[in-house]
Amino acid sequence: MPAGPFGIDPLIWAPLRLVIAVALALFLVLNGALLQIYLERKIQAIIQDRLGPYHVGPWGLLQTFADALKLISKEDVRAAATDGWFFVAAPALVFCPMLASWVVLPFAQDIVGANLNIGLLYLTTLGSMTVLGIVIAGWASNNKYALVGGLRSAGQLISYEIPQILALVSVALVVGSLSMIDITRSQAGPFVNVLILPFSFVLYFIAALAETNRTPFDLPEAESELVAGWLTEYSGMRWGTMLALSEYGNVTVVCAIVTTLWFGGWQGPGVEAIPLLGVLWFTLKVYGFIVLMMWIRATLPRLRIDQLMSFCWKGLIPMALVNILVVAVLALAFPTTKIPIAIASWVLVILFAAGVPFVQRRRLATLRARARASAAPAVRAAS
Amino acid sequence: MTFDFVEPVVFALLSIGVIAGGVAVVMLNRITAAALFMAFTFLSMAGMFVLLGAETIAAFQVLIYVGAITVLILFGVMFTKFSDAPRALFFQRQAPLAAVFVAAVAIPVTLFSFSFTSAPPRPGGGDLPALATSVFTDFAFPFEIASVLLLAAMVGAIVLTRRDDPEEAAMRRRR
Repeated sequence: MPAGPFGIDPLIWAPLRLVIAVALALFLVLNGALLQIYLERKIQAIIQDRLGPYHVGPWGLLQTFADALKLISKEDVRAAATDGWFFVAAPALVFCPMLASWVVLPFAQDIVGANLNIGLLYLTTLGSMTVLGIVIAGWASNNKYALVGGLRSAGQLISYEIPQILALVSVALVVGSLSMIDITRSQAGPFVNVLILPFSFVLYFIAALAETNRTPFDLPEAESELVAGWLTEYSGMRWGTMLALSEYGNVTVVCAIVTTLWFGGWQGPGVEAIPLLGVLWFTLKVYGFIVLMMWIRATLPRLRIDQLMSFCWKGLIPMALVNILVVAVLALAFPTTKIPIAIASWVLVILFAAGVPFVQRRRLATLRARARASAAPAVRAAS
Repeated sequence: MTFDFVEPVVFALLSIGVIAGGVAVVMLNRITAAALFMAFTFLSMAGMFVLLGAETIAAFQVLIYVGAITVLILFGVMFTKFSDAPRALFFQRQAPLAAVFVAAVAIPVTLFSFSFTSAPPRPGGGDLPALATSVFTDFAFPFEIASVLLLAAMVGAIVLTRRDDPEEAAMRRRR
């Protein structure tokens, strides 16, 4: 009998690993949302010098469980003017693609639902399907805030998908595969992809913040302008599915992609000896990025909608195209070594970091010039 | 142990999905529902591509048609005039004529499709290398022409819809 992973017959292992992956995904999505909401509150509380939740359970750990129970037991409220089954279908349309993404995330050596050879493409595809659910939700709510929020969200998601995919392409170029397993395997040892392609990591992470509606890009639910955006008419567990499960599930998926593509996935010390240790490393890395996203949320203010769009189309997309061009040319010119790509990518990161103050100063100068030009006639008329 | 019966069953389900979705797109009065069923049809088509061993094409089908084109159509619907009253469209009153047209197209296509005798696709390996090789070697020229065409269309759309910033225009007039 041919021994598969963990000494199990491959014929049994193939369906078994799908079951394990689905169980892990459900477990991590449902509990991850609870844990992440708790983390979000606690981290923001720490940064803002507050206490955060502390009444329910030790250190307030059970607060989000209590919230979830409240959401489940809430009355199912549907406004009379909402659009029939669209309104009901929208949370599922947002939730299902997110859940389906977990099939290709490699938790450890052999703990992955399916080793798709187009894993990366599959993930971007599912990411693009979320937009449909959000637009439908905004439409079906029959509410102008929800509609504007849904359309904003769709515009934002469609725009930021482009730099996101372009950043992924550079990794696929260097690794030579779209399979999540191959990408992880290619980063054995300490030289993970982030040392070779830091610039595409920076681009992806910024675009991913926008894709998952995190601050500074959380315009679709800008409560000062739009009540709660496309979620306005939703309450109870529909709201819970849309916001808590889907948003935090998407955050986890994006952080898992970052971990797999740039930080070596499940690999870490001691994984060769005990393969199950990979789950621990993977989870630790993923939660590291989740905490980073929450830190950013507590630090940065929200962008304006025109700033958001111009940052994507005039900033991120040209930078991503330059990144692809450089990586592709260098990969073609030096097929045996990755050192030139790494040098070029680090140079791009330094240029990016150094360029931000310049661009900022020029923008301020044009704004001031415009203000002066529009104020001048009034001043002349007064004097 | 073989699973020969699975593939025809999946194919049948997907075919029902494609045809039922297409019929729903044409028959439904509410345009948003039609758009959603169109997305469903595209998804079923993607399933067909997976069944044929063309996962990459399936992924692009979903990425472009479900993720972008359907959303674009929904945008178009939402920004155009909309009335709640369901109206029977012109085409929906002409069922016999429609049946004749469908038969006239479908029967030759079905008969023609039986004339294909190529080998069934091999599972595993995927279609990505084959697709990439053919796009960048045999079909490099049409591929580039198509991208230039799309670029021209995009520039044209921007030129057609662009409005001058009133503030800038005022500043130019003042000078």
